[in-house]
Amino acid sequence: MLDFFRDGFYKDLVLLLVISIILGAAFSQGVAWAIDTYFGDTLDQMIGEYGEYDLILHIREEAKEAALRELQRIGEQSFPGYKLNETLTIAGQANVFFGLPPQFRTREVLESITSYFGAVPGLNGYTLMAEPSVLIRGVHPGVREELREEIEELKGVSFTVKDGNNLVVLTEKEDDLPQVTAGIEGILAQYQILELRFPMGFEVDTQEVGNKALEILRAQESSASRYANVTSAQYGEDLDAFLKTLVEMRDFLGSYASKVRISPSPGISLSVGERIVLEAVGEMQEELIIEVTGVFGDLAEGMIIQGSPVQSMDRVVQQGYRLLGEGEQGDYIGEVEIENERYRLAYAVDESLRLLAELEELAVQASSAVDNAEAVLTTFQEALMQLEVLQVQMRQLNEGIAKGDAKSSGEQFLVTLLLNGLFQTLAQGVIHTGEESLDSLQNLDIEEMRSSLDGISTQIANVQEIDVAAIMEQIGFVRDTLPDLSDAEIGQSIRLINTYLGGQVIPGERVQLLIQGEAPNEKALEKIFQTELENPYLHTYSTSAGMVSPDARGEIFRILKEVRSIVAGMLAIIFTMIVLALDHAAIFSTLKQLRAGKKARTKRWMRILDPLLLFGGVLGSGLLTSIYYLAKGQIPFFSPVVVAALGFVLGVVLVVFAERFSPVDSMELMAGQSLGLSNVQIMREVVIPPSRPGLLNLLNRFKQQF
Amino acid sequence: MLEIRDLRKSYGKLTALAGVDLDVARGETVVIMGPSGCGKSTLIRCVNRLTEPDQGSIILGGQDVLALSSPELQKFRRRVGFVFQQFNLIARLTVLENVMFHLVLGGMEREEAAERALASLDKVGLRAAADRRPRELSGGQQQRVGIARALVTNPEIMLWDEPTASLDPILVGEVLEVMEELVKETGTTMVIVTHEVSFALRVAHRIVFMDQGRVVEEGPPQEVFAEPRSEIAKLYRKLLVN
Ligand SMILES: Nc1ncnc2c1ncn2[C@@H]1O[C@H](COP(=O)(O)OP(=O)(O)OP(=O)(O)O)[C@@H](O)[C@H]1O
Ligand SMILES: [Mg+2]
Repeated sequence: MLDFFRDGFYKDLVLLLVISIILGAAFSQGVAWAIDTYFGDTLDQMIGEYGEYDLILHIREEAKEAALRELQRIGEQSFPGYKLNETLTIAGQANVFFGLPPQFRTREVLESITSYFGAVPGLNGYTLMAEPSVLIRGVHPGVREELREEIEELKGVSFTVKDGNNLVVLTEKEDDLPQVTAGIEGILAQYQILELRFPMGFEVDTQEVGNKALEILRAQESSASRYANVTSAQYGEDLDAFLKTLVEMRDFLGSYASKVRISPSPGISLSVGERIVLEAVGEMQEELIIEVTGVFGDLAEGMIIQGSPVQSMDRVVQQGYRLLGEGEQGDYIGEVEIENERYRLAYAVDESLRLLAELEELAVQASSAVDNAEAVLTTFQEALMQLEVLQVQMRQLNEGIAKGDAKSSGEQFLVTLLLNGLFQTLAQGVIHTGEESLDSLQNLDIEEMRSSLDGISTQIANVQEIDVAAIMEQIGFVRDTLPDLSDAEIGQSIRLINTYLGGQVIPGERVQLLIQGEAPNEKALEKIFQTELENPYLHTYSTSAGMVSPDARGEIFRILKEVRSIVAGMLAIIFTMIVLALDHAAIFSTLKQLRAGKKARTKRWMRILDPLLLFGGVLGSGLLTSIYYLAKGQIPFFSPVVVAALGFVLGVVLVVFAERFSPVDSMELMAGQSLGLSNVQIMREVVIPPSRPGLLNLLNRFKQQF
Repeated sequence: MLEIRDLRKSYGKLTALAGVDLDVARGETVVIMGPSGCGKSTLIRCVNRLTEPDQGSIILGGQDVLALSSPELQKFRRRVGFVFQQFNLIARLTVLENVMFHLVLGGMEREEAAERALASLDKVGLRAAADRRPRELSGGQQQRVGIARALVTNPEIMLWDEPTASLDPILVGEVLEVMEELVKETGTTMVIVTHEVSFALRVAHRIVFMDQGRVVEEGPPQEVFAEPRSEIAKLYRKLLVN
């Protein structure tokens, strides 16, 4: 086989290989580079060059024009030298880039974006993208300031900016990023947040439990240098709120369900979860099934999980039987009392509706009654005043008579007599009962009575003004919208919520502890806390005080670089395959043809390890490896060994299927031999010219004589 | 001129030549006949090592053919004319190029090579077709180009491997005519594998019958056809009688 190359064709082959490799590498890398550049440019257009902009302002599309005008105004006024660029509008939201001039790129400005830009019309929020920077996500508020101080001490850091739960660390130069990132990671590693979670329903005094927990921690042997209670309320608020709502919901549903009280007969014991069946009575459609939800001494509670109870204002007492597995009725267990709250509520609502309807009428009646009362009072008062005058006169008369005034003339006496007689007839009844009665009449506080009557009358007037019809409509609406759930449905819902709430430890209350120094063994601590805090349900979780997250742009570029390497690698493989199939296949076809006339192989290894296959494999391996690495290819999981092996396999496949890729006319080949052509001449003049148009074919044009 | 001794060749388990001895004198025309698959082509290809024999010796013009190095072999092959059953022309070259290209590759000036090629084409009556491509010619014409190509180097010996076997009967005549002329005019040593019995009878100095990789009978045509000893020779005689 080596003979074949010896008389000159090796030169052609070497040239072919060199050019294939150079071309392959250049092509693969070139295409990859083009892709890279294209995306890189697009990206720059989209998000600006590194450090060009500091903020992305998200603005509602319809307010964009106004927002841009306002931004220009703010820029000119507060940040002369600012940069503004409106980029993509996605899903109705315009993204506007805003670049601060260097002197304004400070913590103060970056932390008060809302105060500067809050008035921008249509502003939906903003994203900080000041660069070069390192982003720390999820920084625990309890350690933020401490972390800040430590991080700002790091070399290369210019300042830090709090951005919600994140901390943005700005560095002086882009080159500082790796070192600053490492520094931050070192600092973060020093902090651990140990969280004690109590299941739902445990009301925990976070301060008290926190302090206890700290004591427990301090009692442990550990190299941690500091412990602190950093329980923060806002942490995980949403979930808490959701779970609390669920609990409320469950309680609401529970209060709304029919109350089921079970009085087991003596000797019968019930357990939670057990089911009781009640036979259908009255207008009930089907039997009721009750699940026992609680057992309290010789009483038990339950809820209806199937069927509807009798609709009655009163308690209904029925006989309960155990429900056996197959829906069979078991032993009698005792009396079950059901109180249908919903029915009562509905009744109450209906009643109030009826009363309201009568109220209006009542008000009219009351109003006329008050008017009458006032008229009576006026008459009464007038009468009273006359009485008073009479009384005075009578007193004077009486006194005059009693003293027997000597000076009194006969004339006066006569008058007195007359008057006396008159008075007696006029005010018979009053005088009769004596002066006491009149006094008590006088004691009546007429004015007081009048003003209270006035009050009543205005109130009644108010009642008349109330739109009773509207109120009735409202109440009617309430009645109609009273959840139209059956007891069974309520029961099922409660069960559902309970399984959700009960199935897992839900952070009902949490206590967060900061541990500085070596991280403790969280699971071992959990046991200790469970015993020491006497709560077997609590769990511990340890989290970091913050996570360094790669900045978006760096990440995008890293991915782009990765894509580029993958593309280059793939192209290298494809190129190698093409070169092998187009060019080398012709060579191997020829070699295989020529071998047919040769002597049978004598050496044993040759029979096992076909030198042609070996040669093909080595060639493929060399070709692929060279092109792949020159093209800077990098495909995940493609180690050099894998690449070389893949090349080898490609080469072997090529040898096996050489004739398929590039058939050689054996007649022409034999003619060439018989005419005394050398191997290189056979290749150049006979085999290659009609072979597939490839590099080999192209290069051969320079050497071909016919 | 040509001495073949105990030549053996196997393709895997199949034995194509099982020890062939053959002598051809200078200027002699030897016709080899035998049933299909008996090893005729293998034998004749071994002479210029288109096929490498496993064993035996081939001496041509005093040269040990099997001992030749690659470059020597190439030189040697130029002294041996070979005509193929399938003509084996180079499809992409013109008729003239087909006849001259190996001369140029062997170091001859193009003009001279062209001249000689044209002369050679003259001999086979195809000068006029010099600029055409093989596929534009009939089978007989193509084979005549093949003959011109073999002839152009003035070979010491010409090997013919069933030159008319893939032609239709009408075209066979023109090729045989050319061959007969060549034998008579040039006096070149010829080894011809053919089934053309009458041609053999007319042209051959000696006929060699082969069967199953061996020479089974040989002798002057009149003799072997008059008194065939082997089964093969008898079969060929029948052909002749018919
Ligand atoms: N390259 C090869 N590989 C395997 N077997 C071969 C090869 N060439 C020839 N043979 C076999 O060797 C035997 C002799 O073949 P050869 O071509 O010499 O016969 P032949 O007498 O020329 O026959 P034909 O009249 O058909 O041309 C045949 O059985 C053939 O199948
Ligand atoms: Mg044959």
